[in-house]
Amino acid sequence: MAEKLIGKDIVPPDLVAKVTGRAKFAEDFRAPGMVFAKLLLSPMPHARVRNVDASEALSMPGVLGMLTPDDLPEAPPRSERALTYEPLYEGEPILAVAAVDETTAADAVERIKVDFEPLPFVLDPLKSLHPNGPNARTEGNYFFRSRDPEEQGFRTLKWTEADFAEAGEGRMPMGEPQTEWTVGDIDAGFAEAALVLDETIVHQSLSHHPMEPRSAMAYWQNGKLYLHTSTQSVAQTRVGVARALDLEPDDVVLIGEYCGGGFGSKIRGSPIQLVPALLSRKIGRPVMLRITRYEENYIGRSRPGFQARVKMGYRADGRVTAVDLYIVEDGGAYGSGDFRTAGTVASLSYQPLSMRLRGVSLYTNTPPRSAQRGPGGAQIVGMLEPIMDKAARQLGIDRVAIRRINAPDNNGWLGPQRASLTSAYVREALDKGKEIFGWEEKIRLSGRRNGTKVTGVGVGLSPFVGGSTGFDGLLVIRPDGKLYIHQGIGNLGTHSIADTARAAADVLGMPWNRCVVVWGDTSNHLPWSSVQAGSQTTHAHTRANHAAAMDAKRKLQEIAAREFGGSPGDYATADGSVYLRSNRLQRMSFAYAARRAIQIGGKYSGHELADNLNAVTVTSARALAGQGLVAAARDTYRHEGSTWSFVVGFALVELDVETGQIDLKEYTAVTDCGTVVHPRSLAAQLHGGAVQGFGIARSQKWVFDPQWGVSFAKRFYTARPPGILDVPLEMKWGAVNKPDPQTPVGAKGIGEPPVGAGSAAVASAISDALGGQCLCRTPLTTDVILAALEGRKQPYGPLEIHV
Amino acid sequence: MAVIRDMIPAFELFQPTSVDDALSLLAQHGDDTWVLAGGLDSFDWFKDRIKRPKVVVELSGVEELKGIRSTEDGVEIGAMTTLTEVATNSEILANYGLLAKAASQVATPQIRNQGTLGGNVSQDTRCWYYRGGWPCYRAGGNICYASAPQAMNREHCIFGADRCVAVNPSDTAPTLIALDAKMIVKRANRERVIDAEDFFIGPGTDITRMTVLRPGDLLTSIRIPATWAGASFYWEKVEDRKSWDFALVSVARAMRVSNGSITEARVVVNGVAPYPMRLDAVEAAVRGRPLSEETAQMGGEVAIRRAKALRHNDYKLPLIRNLVRRALRGRPA
Amino acid sequence: MDFWRRATNPWDQDILIGIAWDLMWAAAIVGVVFLSGHALYMWLLAPKKKLSAPVGPNEAAAGLPDRIVRHTVAARTFHWLMSVAMFVLLITAFFPVVGIQFAWVTIHWIAGLGLLLTVIYHIVHSIFWQDLRSMWISQEEIKGAASEVARFFKRSGEPGSKPGKYPLDHKLYHHSIIVVTTLAIATGLLMMFRVDTPFWARNPYLLSDQLWGVVYVVHGLSGVALITLIMTHIYFAIRPEKLWITRSMIKGWVRREEYLEHHDPKRWVVKKEDPPTLTGVAGSAQLREGVPQNKRSNN
Repeated sequence: MAEKLIGKDIVPPDLVAKVTGRAKFAEDFRAPGMVFAKLLLSPMPHARVRNVDASEALSMPGVLGMLTPDDLPEAPPRSERALTYEPLYEGEPILAVAAVDETTAADAVERIKVDFEPLPFVLDPLKSLHPNGPNARTEGNYFFRSRDPEEQGFRTLKWTEADFAEAGEGRMPMGEPQTEWTVGDIDAGFAEAALVLDETIVHQSLSHHPMEPRSAMAYWQNGKLYLHTSTQSVAQTRVGVARALDLEPDDVVLIGEYCGGGFGSKIRGSPIQLVPALLSRKIGRPVMLRITRYEENYIGRSRPGFQARVKMGYRADGRVTAVDLYIVEDGGAYGSGDFRTAGTVASLSYQPLSMRLRGVSLYTNTPPRSAQRGPGGAQIVGMLEPIMDKAARQLGIDRVAIRRINAPDNNGWLGPQRASLTSAYVREALDKGKEIFGWEEKIRLSGRRNGTKVTGVGVGLSPFVGGSTGFDGLLVIRPDGKLYIHQGIGNLGTHSIADTARAAADVLGMPWNRCVVVWGDTSNHLPWSSVQAGSQTTHAHTRANHAAAMDAKRKLQEIAAREFGGSPGDYATADGSVYLRSNRLQRMSFAYAARRAIQIGGKYSGHELADNLNAVTVTSARALAGQGLVAAARDTYRHEGSTWSFVVGFALVELDVETGQIDLKEYTAVTDCGTVVHPRSLAAQLHGGAVQGFGIARSQKWVFDPQWGVSFAKRFYTARPPGILDVPLEMKWGAVNKPDPQTPVGAKGIGEPPVGAGSAAVASAISDALGGQCLCRTPLTTDVILAALEGRKQPYGPLEIHV
Repeated sequence: MAVIRDMIPAFELFQPTSVDDALSLLAQHGDDTWVLAGGLDSFDWFKDRIKRPKVVVELSGVEELKGIRSTEDGVEIGAMTTLTEVATNSEILANYGLLAKAASQVATPQIRNQGTLGGNVSQDTRCWYYRGGWPCYRAGGNICYASAPQAMNREHCIFGADRCVAVNPSDTAPTLIALDAKMIVKRANRERVIDAEDFFIGPGTDITRMTVLRPGDLLTSIRIPATWAGASFYWEKVEDRKSWDFALVSVARAMRVSNGSITEARVVVNGVAPYPMRLDAVEAAVRGRPLSEETAQMGGEVAIRRAKALRHNDYKLPLIRNLVRRALRGRPA
Repeated sequence: MDFWRRATNPWDQDILIGIAWDLMWAAAIVGVVFLSGHALYMWLLAPKKKLSAPVGPNEAAAGLPDRIVRHTVAARTFHWLMSVAMFVLLITAFFPVVGIQFAWVTIHWIAGLGLLLTVIYHIVHSIFWQDLRSMWISQEEIKGAASEVARFFKRSGEPGSKPGKYPLDHKLYHHSIIVVTTLAIATGLLMMFRVDTPFWARNPYLLSDQLWGVVYVVHGLSGVALITLIMTHIYFAIRPEKLWITRSMIKGWVRREEYLEHHDPKRWVVKKEDPPTLTGVAGSAQLREGVPQNKRSNN
């Protein structure tokens, strides 16, 4: 019996190519006759294009053509298109020009005269809520979604002067919400409270800034589109592209074997990938569109910022009696709904006796938002955890203890429907974290001064959704005796393509060196898979591959039974063979079984397929039919309730009281993500996500000039994501490693919750170093901290954003 | 003309191998000529297509501009010497550790390997309005966007504003002033020796330049006299991130102490004015004073006496005050 | 030659930001051409006149003092203060353009405010203590000027009548200065919103950038116009035949002979008998400047 792969470190199949530079990312591809495209971006935050005069540009030698919004397929009115005549943010692409090289294309773009009519713009949703405030779009400041098409549409929400006046200076006003839900009786909750805290908090918007910008190259061959793009998910991106271009999925060959990070910004690639596709069709040449860092800042998506008011009630023992949360979300140019998730996460983290969520999400003339690693969750965790600290301090309770008191367990609930959980081992994670981090000794260092340095210790609890269900697995055992695991998910550096494949290998007892992962190119026949987002993949695809492997195993047992007699249940699989349990010498190699499967045909060779498979999987399986033993199955394992993972972060910082500089000395993350699939990869997620969280807490930002609505943080050095020296030399981690009972492998997703844990732990530690002062804003930059230390006026108003 | 960034427009490239050739190229091509050292400032400008010189004179082939030489009175550092070399040179480490320390904290190892001392002191400001290609005073226009009432100016100046409120971004510049370095500037048939302090100019003098260098000028080397060799030094840079960041504020201090009293000190700060600023008042105030917390406190107060904050950079007042205090406490950092 | 300096604003819109400095050189060249033309004309072609034709004793001279007050201390103080301000303004404005670099902004606006103060002083002074009508250009003068021009081109005819206290060209010059200086000051005051001053918070967005462009252009045009105007002014001030006027701006008086030669005593009535004092206070009766007849009659 092969050693179980789940829970062991392995070398992922793409590693050597990546570290040697042989891995080809979207912009590394070349096709015969390929030309380059460059984009013309809007200089204004909101405008209407009155006229485009490209005559001079198009007559330049080497210029091959131009793509304008007129060339794009129709799209619903509120959705974002790759190019637009009504730009809603500075930097929104207007048109693209193709030329023999990028220099020529850029020179051509420069010679295009676009007549823009400036329109009113707004950067701050609260300004748009003012009675006379501007709307980010001519049609209104939000989109009302409804099943009733009559009701659905753009609307304008304004609050009254009285709403603003009532809040008073520096407090967030709370007018009419778009969304409201209540669980329990919050009045009773506050009445019961021994302590009530009421805070106004601001969380910044920030760009994803993956290392690889969203470049794409496209060409058409015999009516098929070949698209090399940077995407988090392969199978679903192909379908998305096909739908956008009104093609059959079969007519799109999507190649995305490597993705240099997405963090939620490339879930199905991005709208801009249609530009090379359409431009290529228009001019009849392969077109490469390399997105630059400058462009990536604009079109590369961003996390929506929040302005929030939170009122929390606590019993004397620290139990949260009531949470009253009001979030104003900056939805950017095309809207967002992170605040809903934020409310759910808050309910899950603290299991309050009562809770109300109110929120609005408004358009602003800032770059488009999308999910960013822990969307809604990372924000709210970073905002609320320092308030939990404040309560703990005022109630005289240990800060880990107050989280333990309120933490969910397997009977926990979340959200307005009080949904149930599949599993939650948060107390175990907190306990393990205390031990690994050494909380009891570290907490004694809290507030200790050494010269100008003060030590601060912090903790942050961050839940996030950890899995979906119902996707397909597709495996082939070929006559070469190898197990081919087809993966329609993407490869964005998380090792998911390999890690989830191991569920199949383990079911069949297949040694890893005889497993081949097939991924990244839809011409290799990939199954229908989840988007690689929302921390779904580990859960969804350990299940799907498990299901497919069970199918393969059944088929192997049946073939063995046909061959050697007995019932299929008498046979087991291991080490590339199917054998009789009672006599291991009675065995058949997978290679042989594969040949037999081809001979027998029908369901064994993939010519007959289960009828619950997705059409994408069916097409792929049919294409593979006859090449070996084909197993394709849909994940139909029992799943009741919501699957969530949890990360607890612990941080120790040193604050220099003369400069406001923060030195992050130690960080520990401990997770409950069910069964640990791949320890080294898990550590990478826990630490990598935390580093993004450190950036949120300390340095990364967006800055706009309020007069012009133009952005400044469009380079790494101005956007300031954390650098390697901002990360502690040694970071520790741990995992509860208790299987989730509702998934066969026991594993839950872990991509997202580490971010909030990193952000919250650092914010909590900084607040601790400041003697418990909560600055109620992210990022906590030197200027903000120093103003607090020196008792000077804060550099930004309590509700000021994009600063 | 539509704006497009991140694509370097064509220019004519010259790669001379001697200072004389470089100078004659500069003289020959006039105002439209750009001197390219490490390229870390230049390429940003070129990529953004904001500065579009017709001719670029690239100096990496000029061997005589590289290297660190001992002289009778100190050291002479070629302008094209990399920051890594400056940071690791044994003589500089031994006698002028202040400069080595500052050079070692510029940006990142890659940038220090590529960036030169001459380039570091000659670099342009990082004011994001100006860098964004906005037509401000520094770009030849008639407006400062960064000082408008609603502007984003946390990284701008608290001293020396004259229409423009940008700051000098160089880490090595204040240390060179503290060390009383001399900048050797050549142009066809003429050589000038300029005190480091006078090398940097404010917007009052010329709003479009950060240094005295005009088209045709070439900074060939930097001489550091032995005046401050082996003195007590202090350098500190405060930044938002620990790498690849420009100083919010920095302080360089050289000091001689005898019998517990400060006999002489040079205190230079950067990130607070459009030029690295020598704090003469602080120097005068602490001269002859005992090395004590009281002196440090007093020096800190003197440092910010005439500071004036913009909307978002009030924190630079306590920050520079505290850094000057630290510098005057006399402990090395 | 460029006339305007244009720029692209942060929204990629083409905006006016000021005059091209070529216009500064153009103004200087216009000045030089005019002056040299005039000088050449005067040297080579103009009918030679004696610099000071002897004026025989006649009845007009009777009772007139030797020295007649043309500019009071107050008026001269104004003139010289204004000229200092003007020179400072021009130097601080244009020296940096030609490459002489220094911190000019603060000096420039302080000098501008100085100029404004002297102008206010001048306005108040001239309204209450001087005779505004001495600067009025009458129809008669215009006709006279027309016939002078005709006479110049025909090179014949009788000289016209003599002027009152201020000849037409002086008035025209003065009025040009009024217009140009007013524009310069008004735009300059607005421009003070663009720099740091103790008076108000800097607000570059007070006007739209298109409107600011107009302000800068007007300021620039008035600035370069002043170059020409002041060049001309100085030139005439140092021309030998005009030195007596220059002297009057320094010392305050003209000689009786000069008065009689260049002015029409009916238009510039000098009070007789009272010997002039040059140290008196402006506004005292005896130092009242000559008042033309028509003003008298109106009283």
